[in-house]
Amino acid sequence: TVTDEANAMPLPGVNIIIKGTSTGASTDFDGLYSITVTEGQVLVFSYLGYETKEITFTNGSQLNVALKPDAGKLDEIVLIGYGSTTKQDATGAIEKVSDEEFNRGAIVAPQQLIAGKAAGVRVTTGGGAAGEGGEIRIRGGASLSASNSPLIVIDGLPIDQSGAAQGSANALNAINPADIEDFVVLKDASATAIYGSRASNGVILITTKKGSVNQPLKIEYGLQISTRRVANTIDVLDADQYRDLASNPGFDSSSLGNANTDWQDEIYTTGVGAIHNITVSKGYERSNFRINFNHASQEGPLQDLYERNGINASFVQRLLDNDLKLTLVTKAVQDEFSYANRGAIGAATRFDPTQSVLDNNGNFTQYGSDANLAPANPLFLLEEYDNRQTIQRLISNFNLDYNFWFLRDLTLTVNAGIDYAENDGHRFEAGNPNNPDAFALNEISSGQNRNTSLDFYLNYKKEIESINTKMDITAGHAFQEFYRSSFFDRSTNISISQRDINRNALESYFARGSFDIADKYLISANIRRDGSSRFSEDNRIGYFPGVSVGWKVMNESFMENSLFSNLKLRAGWGVQGQQEIGPNYGYQGLYTPSRNQAANIQFGTQPNGDPRFISTIRPEPYDENLKWEETTQYNVAVDFGFFNNRLSGSIDAYYRETEDLLSLVPVPAGANLTDILLTNVGQVTSKGLEISLNGVIMKEEDFGWDTNFNITFQEQEITSLSLNDDPDYFIPTGGINGGVGNNIQILKPGFDPSTFFVFRQVYDNDGNAIEGAYVDVNGDNIITEADRQAYKKATPDAFIGFTNNFRYKNLDLNFTFRGNFGNYVYNNSASENGNLNNVLNQPGYQANAHASLLDTGFGNQNLFSDLYIQRADFIRLDNISFGYTIPFEKIIFRASLTANNVFVITEYDGLDPEISNGIENNFYPRTRDIVLGLNFTF
Amino acid sequence: IFMQSCEDRLDLQPEDARLTADAAFENPEAYKEFLAKIYAGISLSGQEGPAGAPDLAGLDEGFSNYLRLYWKMQQLTTDEALIAWNDGTIQDLHGQVWTSGNEFIRTMYSRLMYQVALTNEFLRQTTEGKLNERGVNADLREEIQTYRAEVRFMRALTYWHAMDLFANPPFITENDAVGAFLPPQIQRADLFDYIESELLDIEDELVAPRQNEYGRADRAAAWMVLAKLYLNAEVYTGTSRYTEVITYSNNIINAGYTIPSTPYFYSFLADNDSNGAQSEVIFTIPFDGLRTQAFGGMTFMTHAPVGGSMDPANFGINGGWFGVRTTPTFVEQFPNEANSADGRELLYTDGQTKNIADVSTFTDGYAVAKYRNVDVNGDPGSDSSGDHTDIDFPMFRLADVYLMYAEAALRGGGGSMDLARGYINEIRERAYGDTSGNISQSDLTLDFIIDERSRELYWECHRRTDLVRFNQFSNNGVWQWKGGVQQGTTTEAFRNVMPLPATDLGINTNLEQNEGYQ
Repeated sequence: TVTDEANAMPLPGVNIIIKGTSTGASTDFDGLYSITVTEGQVLVFSYLGYETKEITFTNGSQLNVALKPDAGKLDEIVLIGYGSTTKQDATGAIEKVSDEEFNRGAIVAPQQLIAGKAAGVRVTTGGGAAGEGGEIRIRGGASLSASNSPLIVIDGLPIDQSGAAQGSANALNAINPADIEDFVVLKDASATAIYGSRASNGVILITTKKGSVNQPLKIEYGLQISTRRVANTIDVLDADQYRDLASNPGFDSSSLGNANTDWQDEIYTTGVGAIHNITVSKGYERSNFRINFNHASQEGPLQDLYERNGINASFVQRLLDNDLKLTLVTKAVQDEFSYANRGAIGAATRFDPTQSVLDNNGNFTQYGSDANLAPANPLFLLEEYDNRQTIQRLISNFNLDYNFWFLRDLTLTVNAGIDYAENDGHRFEAGNPNNPDAFALNEISSGQNRNTSLDFYLNYKKEIESINTKMDITAGHAFQEFYRSSFFDRSTNISISQRDINRNALESYFARGSFDIADKYLISANIRRDGSSRFSEDNRIGYFPGVSVGWKVMNESFMENSLFSNLKLRAGWGVQGQQEIGPNYGYQGLYTPSRNQAANIQFGTQPNGDPRFISTIRPEPYDENLKWEETTQYNVAVDFGFFNNRLSGSIDAYYRETEDLLSLVPVPAGANLTDILLTNVGQVTSKGLEISLNGVIMKEEDFGWDTNFNITFQEQEITSLSLNDDPDYFIPTGGINGGVGNNIQILKPGFDPSTFFVFRQVYDNDGNAIEGAYVDVNGDNIITEADRQAYKKATPDAFIGFTNNFRYKNLDLNFTFRGNFGNYVYNNSASENGNLNNVLNQPGYQANAHASLLDTGFGNQNLFSDLYIQRADFIRLDNISFGYTIPFEKIIFRASLTANNVFVITEYDGLDPEISNGIENNFYPRTRDIVLGLNFTF
Repeated sequence: IFMQSCEDRLDLQPEDARLTADAAFENPEAYKEFLAKIYAGISLSGQEGPAGAPDLAGLDEGFSNYLRLYWKMQQLTTDEALIAWNDGTIQDLHGQVWTSGNEFIRTMYSRLMYQVALTNEFLRQTTEGKLNERGVNADLREEIQTYRAEVRFMRALTYWHAMDLFANPPFITENDAVGAFLPPQIQRADLFDYIESELLDIEDELVAPRQNEYGRADRAAAWMVLAKLYLNAEVYTGTSRYTEVITYSNNIINAGYTIPSTPYFYSFLADNDSNGAQSEVIFTIPFDGLRTQAFGGMTFMTHAPVGGSMDPANFGINGGWFGVRTTPTFVEQFPNEANSADGRELLYTDGQTKNIADVSTFTDGYAVAKYRNVDVNGDPGSDSSGDHTDIDFPMFRLADVYLMYAEAALRGGGGSMDLARGYINEIRERAYGDTSGNISQSDLTLDFIIDERSRELYWECHRRTDLVRFNQFSNNGVWQWKGGVQQGTTTEAFRNVMPLPATDLGINTNLEQNEGYQ
């Protein structure tokens, strides 16, 4: 029997191998195993999360072994891109988040599994819609206008960063969270440089679950049933408060109705969801497989719907005396989205609360045809709208590992992958009900995404005993092509039909050498040469080197009796690139024809007197000299452990500089065929400190408690933005609602890229804002936009994740807190609608106001007042989960109850302090979910 | 070989409707389609109507339309118009408190320079060398020579706008390739010389007056811009050129244009290309409710002034945008104000007050019902949803030429005062429907001309230039909300030209800011 040393529970699935042979076995559910062994042979017991134990067999028929949980997991294998290393030999900033550490809940979007789990990694969900994903930022992202999303590699296949499946709310939803074994986050340049031109925002390697060798048939069924309700709504005037506005001159009381309608209450319902997972796996001596069937459905509060049906299958086969290992991982997924009309969110905050939902005739109440700019009835917007997308996607990766028989230390790896998606959709949107002449919109759309990848590399591992050095050398070639085709046919009063085809390709050579000298000194160097079709032949090739060193101080003799149980110092440097720039042919001058019949002009008349129309062609802007954006990053770190690694952690500090930023910036007027062009200009620097602590606080037989805390401090600054380094130069950004062309943020040297740009509000002696009174910064006695100031920013100075896992006998409890500090949010809902003008002075109607009107009493919009920039530090209890496991004789049964987004502690009084760009307007409110989970393992 | 084939696969070109230049011009139609784009540069905002695939990205597409921005520059800054909206710094235009950060001024500037860049690209793509390379046949070649002349006219027109608004803009020609270089700045007087020489150079290559296709420029259009240059020459160069105004006005007057016998308001209706009003039009910017759709241009000029109790149906549109009205100063240009016998006074006063207490309130200030998307029978235009209009914008028309002739004559450019009075009375007879509004020789003064220009040409993008020429724009001349106060106040003289946008100064080190804005 193999048991857990801590609680004497039997351990199923432990691998037992006779050292030096390929003979092995694994334990069953009672921890039992059997193996034929002769005296003197060494049995190796290994199990994920436990220290590997070697026992020399002497005699007897039964060998009981107790494995010790490995708190530090120093031997754990960590992927690093085109290879792997162990945690203790890693020299880059690499963090692994495994299955058992994932966030709990009815999660359909894989990125939410790791929110709050890794220092330096921030995951911000886009709101409460069904199937919604989330934005991942590793070390804040390195770019301004190019993508700031990390490269995601699934089982060795890099996924298209510019969108892997059209029509999907979240391309990662194709991966069933229940299939994911672990995430490895490569943060610093020395670790990511092997991915060269796509690595400047970090890399996430996702490994899906596989079967294991000699494993008995295992059948698992998991069910999660969930409900979701919006956690908060926007503060608008209720019907009585709205009626009180009648005392204002200009208020037309005759339009008031008799109802008391909370429109937000009307549009949001309780969404229910269910996730089913059936998994079958079995391992033989030479092969194993795992097959998962998954069905997930999730309803959003706006009655939007996401459904997934998927199969994930993995097969591993070993041939030629285990010299050849073939792995095939295939996922086939059908994603279906039924999107809601999000216009209802804004309409619900604006529609007159004294009106009933339905009028006397049973029709939706509307403002009527004299007010064609008025909001439509929010429920009408939901009802008269249909927007569905079906995405069928196949992600398949075939991997071959071959050990050369004549040179045991040399391995060839070939990876061939394809990610193919097809989507089909249609959209119907009713015409404006306040304009009897308006046309409905009908659209069909379809698309294709194809990502094909082929890479191979040779790996040579050798221990050279004469110089006491282990070396590990890899070199290879990769080619990847992305093809995206999209089509739509849309008709209103005019019709337009268009097909866009985009193709881009990357060709790369890469090499890495790692050396471990005397088990103390580590050095690793890598380089990648990337060619990208997005740049002209002259600029096509980029070189991206990385070097890192490590010192396993713990292995020095002077550390023998120290407090430490682990101590390692690391440092790294590297250069990464960025080619995820948007346009594919940005270096070539192209011509675009008129896209529909409504963009023609008249040249002359036909013989019958009718106008003759001619379509146009337009030369597009281009920059022949477009080239790579380059990020140079430095990283220094210490890994430590105390008390036999029951307390362990890492501290990483980084400094990063991005040059030749691919930025959408104004061009010198007249120099190009546009006003704003994507070009290489400017520089951004960022620095940060990441601290991660793990503690195993209690480890008794009946009671366990472990905890993880991570905190990240970060700072980002634009250091240059134009060719001539004008310190006053800035680019407005961050578009807001309330008037057209209004921006609330700036890009300016010396400031964070999410910095707000506002007037400084003047207050009276009682602390009330004086409307329209701002600080005259330049002293010219008039308030113009020259008096706007850079003020606060949307990105946090620091963010934390805090997780605790408790275990008492068969009960377990875990919870995760997340928090951001030093971030601010611009409350655009309040600034746009918290004034009388937006109630009274509307074209032909009166609309509801944001409740901030009651505080400010503002008559007009004061969009740029810093009054609306509010501190948005928060701590959120992201999830809390309570579980109970019953190990029956044949079945292990587990039940759990999870709550997500339980509460938020914040000073921010808007809808939600966690808004990725820091501008809150018509945000789809996050939900509070309750999830019941049942799990059966046979 | 494998590696080589991979490298080759990095040479990718578009596979959809987009084409490389060489592929695009394999189609002989492409030359005319590119010419069309240059004309569309004034009316449309991108490659998809009414919005989509915009030409410019710096401002909302609808707002970035050439004609819409030009209208705002020329009208909102004057006594003829003000706007209620809260879009960025739009109200700073009427207040004359704009700075170099004003996004509307910036986008106008971007639009002008974009239009110049488009014309330059056309000229580069149609050189002898390029046409030889592509084996273009003789007939098409000859046609392309005419296109080239029209394109140079369009460039001169835009440079005139740039010179008038910004005085010293960047200067680029077809000899400057597309790229990330810093265009040099040109001084106003030098730009004047350039525009003049270009127009004189192409005069003979352009199609004779009234002989080109509707919507395209002919020789008379070039004469018109020359006349405008000379009329304002003193502002632009310090030297007056009124004799030439008479010369070129005569050229146009003798080319066969006539003041139509139709009522004044016919000129601004949906069918103004065919209801008779077109007989005086020298250069028009055609729009069509179904085929030429943009949220700028006439769609803006028709919707934005409608609001309050005005019935959108009378305007052939689905609803007003509650934006633009006029000031009391303009109302007072007409005898008996709102009840004038002058048929050009197309005011709407129901529920509107003459005085403007609050700029943001549509009903403060009389509304103007000049542009209406209905035909002479009151039937709406072709877009049945009521969004977009069929009204063509009469950029240059004979009445303007008559007024220029009279003004030049008064300013000592020669010509006949008798003829001048006759011309003025011709337009006043259309305005009054009879001779009751006719003037005598003694009435014909410069003060009369500036007011008459406003009465005849209001909201047609002339007012700012006219006020500057009469020195009534900034440090003289007061109307409500000028200077940001209700009763109005004068502003500093440097506001006669617009500032160069701060963004461009930040990028282009060749540029020096206009005086007063440093």
